[in-house]
Amino acid sequence: MKQFTLADCTTESAALSQLNGGAVVKAGGVDLLDLMKSGLIAPSRLVNIRNISGMNGIQSTPDGLKIGALTTLAEISENPEIKSQYAILSDACGHAATPHIRNMATLGGNLLQQNRCWYFRSDDFACLKKGKDVCFAFDGLNQYHAIFDNGTCPSVAPSSAAVALLGLNANVELSSAKRGKRTVALKDFYVKPEVNPMTRTVIQPDELLTAVTVPKPASGTRSAYQKYGDKKSFDWAIADAGVVLEMNGNICRKAAIVMGAASPVVRRSPEAEAVLQGKPITEETARAAGKAAMQGAQPLSMNGYKVQLFPVAIYRTILLAAGQMGRDPSAAG
Amino acid sequence: MSDRTTLPQDLPEQTPAPENHPTQPVSGGGISRRGFLKGAGVTAAGSALLEGVQVFSHEAVAATRNGVKEYGPGAVPVTLTVNGKEHTLQIEPRTTLAEALRVHMGLTGTKIICDRGSCSGCTVLLDKTPINSCMTLAMDAIGHKVTTIEALSSNGGLHPVQAAFVKHDAMQCGFCTPGMVMTCSALLDQNPKPTEEDVRKATAGNLCRCGTYPRIFAATLEAAGTTPRNA
Amino acid sequence: MATTKLTPEVDPLLQAAANAAPAAGTETVQMPVGVPGYTLRQEPRQVPVTEPPVLPVNKDLQYIGKSPTRWDSHAKVSGTARYTYDMQLPGMLYAKFVCASVPHARIVSVDTSEAEKLPGVKGVYVVQHLLGGAVLRNPSLDPSKYPIVRYAGQPVAAVAATHPHIAEQAAQLVKVQYDAKPFVVDMTQARQPNSPQVFPGPADQAGSAGGGGGPHDVPQTGNVHGPSIHKKGDPEQGFKDADVIVEGKYTTQVQVHNALETHGVVADWKPDLLTVWASTQGTASVRDELAAYFKMPKSQIRVITEFMGGGFGAKFGAGNPGVVAAQLSKQTGAPVWLMLDRKQEQLSAGNRPSSDQTLRIGAKKDGTITAMQLISYGTAGCGTGAGCAGPVTHLYDSPNLHTEENDVFINAGPAAAFRAPGHPQGAFALEQSIDELANKLNMDPIDLRDKIDSNPVRRVERQIIRESALWKSRNPKPGAGAGSGYLKRGVGLSQSVWYRFIRMDSSAEVRVHRDGSIEVLSAVQDIGTGIKTVMAQVLAEQFGVPPQQIAVKIGDTNYPIGPNSGGSVTTASLTPAVRDAAWQASQKFLASIAPALNTTADDLVLTGGEVRSKSGKLQPVSFRRAAKKMDTDVVSAQAKRIPDYDPAKYDTYGGVDVAEVEVDTEMGLIHVKRIFAVHDCGRPMNPMQVKNQINGGLIQGISYALYENRLLDPKFGYMVNPNLDMYKIAGPRDIPQLDVHVIESYIGQSSTDASGIGEAAGVMSAAAAIANAFHNATGVRIRSTPMTPAVVLEALKQAPQRSETA
Repeated sequence: MKQFTLADCTTESAALSQLNGGAVVKAGGVDLLDLMKSGLIAPSRLVNIRNISGMNGIQSTPDGLKIGALTTLAEISENPEIKSQYAILSDACGHAATPHIRNMATLGGNLLQQNRCWYFRSDDFACLKKGKDVCFAFDGLNQYHAIFDNGTCPSVAPSSAAVALLGLNANVELSSAKRGKRTVALKDFYVKPEVNPMTRTVIQPDELLTAVTVPKPASGTRSAYQKYGDKKSFDWAIADAGVVLEMNGNICRKAAIVMGAASPVVRRSPEAEAVLQGKPITEETARAAGKAAMQGAQPLSMNGYKVQLFPVAIYRTILLAAGQMGRDPSAAG
Repeated sequence: MSDRTTLPQDLPEQTPAPENHPTQPVSGGGISRRGFLKGAGVTAAGSALLEGVQVFSHEAVAATRNGVKEYGPGAVPVTLTVNGKEHTLQIEPRTTLAEALRVHMGLTGTKIICDRGSCSGCTVLLDKTPINSCMTLAMDAIGHKVTTIEALSSNGGLHPVQAAFVKHDAMQCGFCTPGMVMTCSALLDQNPKPTEEDVRKATAGNLCRCGTYPRIFAATLEAAGTTPRNA
Repeated sequence: MATTKLTPEVDPLLQAAANAAPAAGTETVQMPVGVPGYTLRQEPRQVPVTEPPVLPVNKDLQYIGKSPTRWDSHAKVSGTARYTYDMQLPGMLYAKFVCASVPHARIVSVDTSEAEKLPGVKGVYVVQHLLGGAVLRNPSLDPSKYPIVRYAGQPVAAVAATHPHIAEQAAQLVKVQYDAKPFVVDMTQARQPNSPQVFPGPADQAGSAGGGGGPHDVPQTGNVHGPSIHKKGDPEQGFKDADVIVEGKYTTQVQVHNALETHGVVADWKPDLLTVWASTQGTASVRDELAAYFKMPKSQIRVITEFMGGGFGAKFGAGNPGVVAAQLSKQTGAPVWLMLDRKQEQLSAGNRPSSDQTLRIGAKKDGTITAMQLISYGTAGCGTGAGCAGPVTHLYDSPNLHTEENDVFINAGPAAAFRAPGHPQGAFALEQSIDELANKLNMDPIDLRDKIDSNPVRRVERQIIRESALWKSRNPKPGAGAGSGYLKRGVGLSQSVWYRFIRMDSSAEVRVHRDGSIEVLSAVQDIGTGIKTVMAQVLAEQFGVPPQQIAVKIGDTNYPIGPNSGGSVTTASLTPAVRDAAWQASQKFLASIAPALNTTADDLVLTGGEVRSKSGKLQPVSFRRAAKKMDTDVVSAQAKRIPDYDPAKYDTYGGVDVAEVEVDTEMGLIHVKRIFAVHDCGRPMNPMQVKNQINGGLIQGISYALYENRLLDPKFGYMVNPNLDMYKIAGPRDIPQLDVHVIESYIGQSSTDASGIGEAAGVMSAAAAIANAFHNATGVRIRSTPMTPAVVLEALKQAPQRSETA
């Protein structure tokens, strides 16, 4: 790591006043230190927001939840209300990375972390995401890469929390010293690589992500998230699925089906959701939904197997959400 | 699909130039090691970055301006509470907690193995929470209580988890052992009667290359007073 | 022993021992031989009269064969164990390697001027002579001022500074100018005639003290170093005589050792003495390489390894970190710490070669093997050592055998010996082929092996497995494994074989002090296998005091020579020397106190922490009180390893493993549920430690079978996963239930009759057992590792191979 100055802030306004001249925000610091240690970035100034009070914690409001950006993944996964009312979010945060990292990593940092791609993560390769004009994954080793939206940069979305939050129609709150606060729906938060491979989100350099709000689910909502890896101990997802079902008896009124490791940006599948809408949840409909979710998948040279995995991840997670199947022993951690 | 997806074969201009074919020298073309740092911003945590080349400096700066305490880039005095005692160290902001413990305090029980949070060999307790000290800046430990393997047991004897590790031979080369012991003792603080599944979950980020895991499960369960499965 | 390449330095010793005429002054003794409960008997051995009395079987011993706690366990659980990585000496500098950023190049220039200017930098060294990897038979083919870069990550230079941060920054300031050469990192491509060549001519790699390396007397065509051909009988005729032939192609990946403590040393060069703390499997090997490199007498080099964080075969000799740190220390006058970082460890510190094997086995209807043929290619990077014919040569009886092993050079870091070199690869092919043969012959896999494997110990092991509930639960019909829907259960078996290697350079000294304290000294290092504990047990048995009361001082070349720990040699080689020294010291001790007790030494016996009189003329005296009667302050004895008592009676070691898997046929995931393992290693000295190693061997084998894979980008030659998140190693949630059984197997070969378990610990057989269980579950044979979801789903697309069913 190169040297840097650390500006330690205890208030949001103090932190916002620091966001200029290329300063980089540090919260839990997990992804940031990874990038810095790997020599991928070398900021000369870090703005430490970790010690800001009032930006952490989980608040239950009449409209739903407000989760401070500094809340750790462990805190979210263990919160009783989230466990019972927002199971998808508890599952997603509780299966990210390792237990230790979940104790350190914040929700904000998790949403803002860089994509997973070994070419991007290696200082041996100067790629599209580093401002060059080459993607090495197309002709290289792409077994873990995206099967959707992979025409520009097929790195995959890293955040399991984002899978859950997209399924829950969450919003992120952004704050800037000059422009004040704004709210962005999570579905509009991420920027596809076709637009700009180097910018992952719409957040501006002078903005802080301060909180995430989650609308209260309609009554009868059931949800779940499952992640699959090559191994069950710490591993990155090779397939994952977030499912939110608004049930009326056994009939699904409305569904959200979300995938993370399928594309550069977390992806909802309207095709899969349409299959479930107005239908009872059965293994048959769940499998049909999983299959529908693969419409338009365009695997690369080595990741065709992921087109087989996602439908399975999806149908099993639908059945888990619907209470028709236990947590899948094949799923990771 | 509203997203326009494009097959890779439709993008010949994005594949590496022919001169980079492995049968050819690599000097030209798309690989310029670290070259991308030159003027190329990569975003992290949502902010665009500046090019980070700067002169190495031992200048010690610790200043408070507008409610912002500023450290570095050179070494500054920092007080950390480690194993119940306050220690004042001269460290740079880039110093990780693991480096501060090992290099600056000589507490070498904490190991740096992967240096990326993938193996948890560097586990210490921050207050009572197990964390990866390799992925934590030392300055983030200011105001917290850091506990390392050297002080897990306060009475001079062995902590029950340590004693159970000895009894079950839950180690071979021993290099992962401090991280394992810290993780398992933190588990028992939170969950005094864990199942084997709970132990596996708690240690899911701890790597042992010798493959001592079954003994670690058994030892932790024994320390909890639970009957371990024969390992 | 014909084809294994494990330890060229060991084989001649074994041979010499075998040829040695019976020494004068021997006597015939009866020794226990065989497996208690099955085949135990007494056999005569000619033994030197100076040897201690024959040890009875474990059940009749007090400390040997029992499982006292690990001698250094308190240090390990409390963080006080000091590894090389933890060394901090006054004025110590931290060094960092500068590594090649291209896979193949001639270095034009190395500019260290900017690095030298950085405040805090005390020394810079440019590598002049690279260690590791193959070396051209004719070096003039590749003239170069600096070592030719043959892989990305090869050490080029190093810097030493007052702080690790400064060293890291300085390393980035060293400018290396490369004249890039064409390169190849894909083995299939490297075999093509028009491929870029890693070496411009034939090149060979020497083995390390732990084995590895390859044959030197073979042809080389392009990048293909080989074949190394071995023939026995008439293989062609053997295949003609066969009723059934099975043939398969198998591929295995490159695995990286990834010991948690990386390679490295702390070197302190003083005018009269070079002291080196090394993370090594051989203190002697480090000293030897440094002495040769710097042309120094061994007496001026001291190597220390008090604690060591894993090696698995890759840590012998000083290596590049050793010589470079010594150079920097010499240059700066300060101790220099130089440990690899994780990426460097992945790239430059050794690996297990890949394999691409074609295996044919011919057999009669009754299972009798008529011929076996293995053609293998494998890459050890820019080194050699990819041969994998060990299992096919040693596991089964075949009158006709033909093996051809080839190394294929690619521009990647050189391989190093890795826990049972060649065997996990070879067993993956062989043990699946035997399984296939059993299916074709409609024979039970255990019955078939009983027919073709004459090793008496494995026969016992198979018997134990045959009677196990797990084996009885196996449905013999492939693909018919119990389980409904997408989960298919299966059970599969695999065997493994390893060799009895002995290092004669194994000595120990035992001292008894007048205060009653006892110590044992040897340069041997404990690499996590527990030799310290075993040494304490041997002394405890001799002196009748608990092992915790023995001071074990090892890991220092100031002590008598110790064996380099590779190939499972340590326990087999050293413990007889330790016992002999303990026996002699105890006799000296008794002689030293007898006069003061008014008796003779032969009236005295050491047991239960006391000195007792055989004749009963003395009351028992505690050891400590008796020691006060010594006529000198310390008595000591040093002993060296003597040859095996009857080397002609050569036995192999091994084990038989049964894996139970559940295959998620939709997700392509193999869940290993349980492994039932029965292994042997001569006399188990400390069963708890032995089982711990077998647990670990099985887990490494599972990890190899399912997860691990060094991945090189084929176009650019860089490893894409040089870390511990994308290089995937089995973690706590990936571990099945392990039911490990260690059987006592006496062979009557030494005063302890012990052997090591490092290799014969399941690492060889796990992948094959899992693959056979997979076939049992699904009816589909999977012939490549790692068996990831991508590989499994691809395999499952095949129709079940009904031809394998009878």
